Amino acid sequence: MIQALSKTPAEEAFGVSLPHRRMEEWRWTDLRRSLVKPYPPHQNVVIANKDVERLIACSPFAKLTSHRIVFVNGSLDQARSNFTGLTFELGVPSSSAVDDPVIHLNSAIEPSGLTLRFDASMDVPVEIIHIATLGAARAMALRNRIEVGEGASATIIETFVGEGDYVLNAVTEIHVGAGARLDRVKVELESHDATHLSYIDCTLAKDAKLNELTLTSGSALNRQNGNYLFAGENANALIAGAYLLNGKQHADTRLVMDHKVPHCTSREMFKCVMDENARGIFQGKVIVRKHAQKTDGKQSSHALLLSETAEFDAKPELEIYADDVVCGHGATAGDINHDHLFYLMSRGIPVAEAKSLLIGAFVGEAFDGIVNDTMREAMVAFAENWLTARKAK
Amino acid sequence: MLTISNLHVKLEDEPREILKGLSLNVKAGEVHAIMGPNGSGKSTLSYVLSGRDGYEVTEGSAMFKGENLLAMDPNERAAKGVFLAFQYPIEIPGVATMQFLKVALNSQRKARGEKELSIPDFMRFVKERAAKLNISQEMLKRPVNVGFSGGEKKRAEILQMAVLEPSLCVLDETDSGLDIDALKVVADGVNALRSPDRAMIVITHYQRLLDYIVPDFVHVLSAGKIVKSGGKELALELEANGYAEFVEKVA
Repeated sequence: MIQALSKTPAEEAFGVSLPHRRMEEWRWTDLRRSLVKPYPPHQNVVIANKDVERLIACSPFAKLTSHRIVFVNGSLDQARSNFTGLTFELGVPSSSAVDDPVIHLNSAIEPSGLTLRFDASMDVPVEIIHIATLGAARAMALRNRIEVGEGASATIIETFVGEGDYVLNAVTEIHVGAGARLDRVKVELESHDATHLSYIDCTLAKDAKLNELTLTSGSALNRQNGNYLFAGENANALIAGAYLLNGKQHADTRLVMDHKVPHCTSREMFKCVMDENARGIFQGKVIVRKHAQKTDGKQSSHALLLSETAEFDAKPELEIYADDVVCGHGATAGDINHDHLFYLMSRGIPVAEAKSLLIGAFVGEAFDGIVNDTMREAMVAFAENWLTARKAK
Repeated sequence: MLTISNLHVKLEDEPREILKGLSLNVKAGEVHAIMGPNGSGKSTLSYVLSGRDGYEVTEGSAMFKGENLLAMDPNERAAKGVFLAFQYPIEIPGVATMQFLKVALNSQRKARGEKELSIPDFMRFVKERAAKLNISQEMLKRPVNVGFSGGEKKRAEILQMAVLEPSLCVLDETDSGLDIDALKVVADGVNALRSPDRAMIVITHYQRLLDYIVPDFVHVLSAGKIVKSGGKELALELEANGYAEFVEKVA
C-alpha cells in the first residue's frame, strides 16, 4: 500500500510530485529529499553580458565550433546563436509519450526548445549550450529535438554550464533515420550547487548508428535517464559515459536499451571516477522483445574510488524475451591498482602524477569512441584539468 | 656506488624472513650477477632496492652514492639513478608508451634540477634508442606493455633503461621467457649500456644469460644470504653442478 505523501515546498512550486527512494528506479536518488526548498520556474534574473560570455567560454568546445545555439536561463538567446546552414524550427517539439518523472517535471516547468533537422550530412559539430547565470534559486527547462534524416550524419554537442543554486531539466528527443549516423557528446558542467535532470528519448531506425558520450562532472546532483528504442534492424548504439566527481557530488544514470527488432547492437560503457564523498550510480537495463532475435547487447560500468568514503552502486537489469541473443553485463569497482602505481613510480614519476596518469587512462577509455579528434582531445584535456585541480588540493 | 650491509627483510604481514643478512658491494663500472635457486630471495632483493611496498627491513642498510636508499620513495630512487628491469613488466592500459617515457624522463630531470627535454628532442632521443632494440614506432604508440609479447616487454624494459640512463641497473630475470634471438637483442641492448659510470646487478636463475652479459662477479644467493662469490667461472660451475650443494649447506 502506498500512502499519499504530503507535498514538499518544491513539489508545491513545481505543481508535480517528485520521485523518491521508495520508487525502485529512484532508490538511490531521492529528489523529494534532495530538493529541500522551492525552485520556482521562470524567475527574472538580471543577465550581465560578461557573465554569459565567460560561461560560454567554460565549454570545453568553446573554440571548436562556431555552430552554437545558446540558451541562457532557460530561454533561447538568438543573438548569440549561429544558425547558419541549419534547418530548424523554434518552439517545443511534440511532447514525448514516455511516462517518466523527469519528463513530467519538464512539462510542468514549461520548457523552451527547438527542433534541429539534418536532412543532409553536416560535418561540423553543432553545439547546443545552456548557461545558467547567478540568480535566485529557480527551475529552468529545455526540450529539444534532433532528427537525422535518412542516410545523413551529424555531430551534436550538448553542454551545460552554470553558476548558483538551480534546477535544470533538459529533455532531448532524438530520431536517427534509416542508415543515418549521429555522434553525440553531452557535457554536464553545471554549478556545484545545481541539480541537473535530463532525459534522452532516442529512436533508431534501420541501419542507424548512434555514438554517444556523456560526461558528468559539474552538478551537486545529476540524474540522467535515457530510453533508446531500436526500432529498425541493424541499428547500432555505443553509449559511453564518464563521471569525474568529488566533494559530495551525486550522479545517477539510468539507461534503457529497448530492442524491439532483430539484429541490433547496443554497447554501454561507463567509466566513473569518484573522489572524497562522491557517489556514482549506474543503472542499465536491456530489454530484448520477443522478436528481437540476434540482439547483441552488452553493458559495463567501472568505478574508480579514490577515497574510502566514495561510493559506487551498479544495477544491471536484463529482460530478455527472445531466445537467440547475446547479452551481458559487467561491473567493477576498486581503487588505483598498486602494481601500476609502483611501476610508474619506479620510473621516477612522483605519486600524485602517477595517480593522475592512471586516473586519466581509466576515464580516457570512455572518450576513445569519439570519432572527431579535436572533440576527443577536448575531453582528454578536460579530464587532465580536473586531475590537475585534484592534485593541487 | 651501492653498499648493502647485513640486510634483513621480511614481508610486512608475515613473520618469515626472506633476506637474512645479505651484504653486497657494487662499484661503478661493475657487473654483478646474482644467481640462486627459486625462493632464495632474488626478486625480494630487487623489490627492496626499488622500493616496492609490502617489505619490511628489520636490520641492516643499503647505501646508494652515500645516501640511505631505503628511506627514499621509489620515484626518488629512480631520479637518483636506480632502475629495476622487471621480471614481469606491468601492463598499463590507456597510457601510451611514448607519453609514459616522456613523463618518466622529465620527472627525473625535474627532480635532479635539470631542464625538461623539448618534444622534438625527446622524440629523437627515444627513436634512436628504440631503433637499436627493434622497437617500432607503432609499439611506442601502444599502451605500456599492453598486448606486447614476452620478448617485446623485455625489450621495452631495456628501452626504458636506455632512455632513463640510470647509474645502477637491476635486471630481474631478464632472460625469463625469451628465446635465443630475443635474448641476444636484449643482451646487446644491455651491453651497449655498460659504462665505467654505470653498475649492473643481473639477477638470474640460469647461466645462459651470462654468456651474453658477461659479469665481473658472480654471487650465489641461497636462503636469503650470499653464500659464495667469485668470478664469471662460478656461473659455469653452477651450471654444471646445480644449486644442490648450496641448498643442502643451508638445510
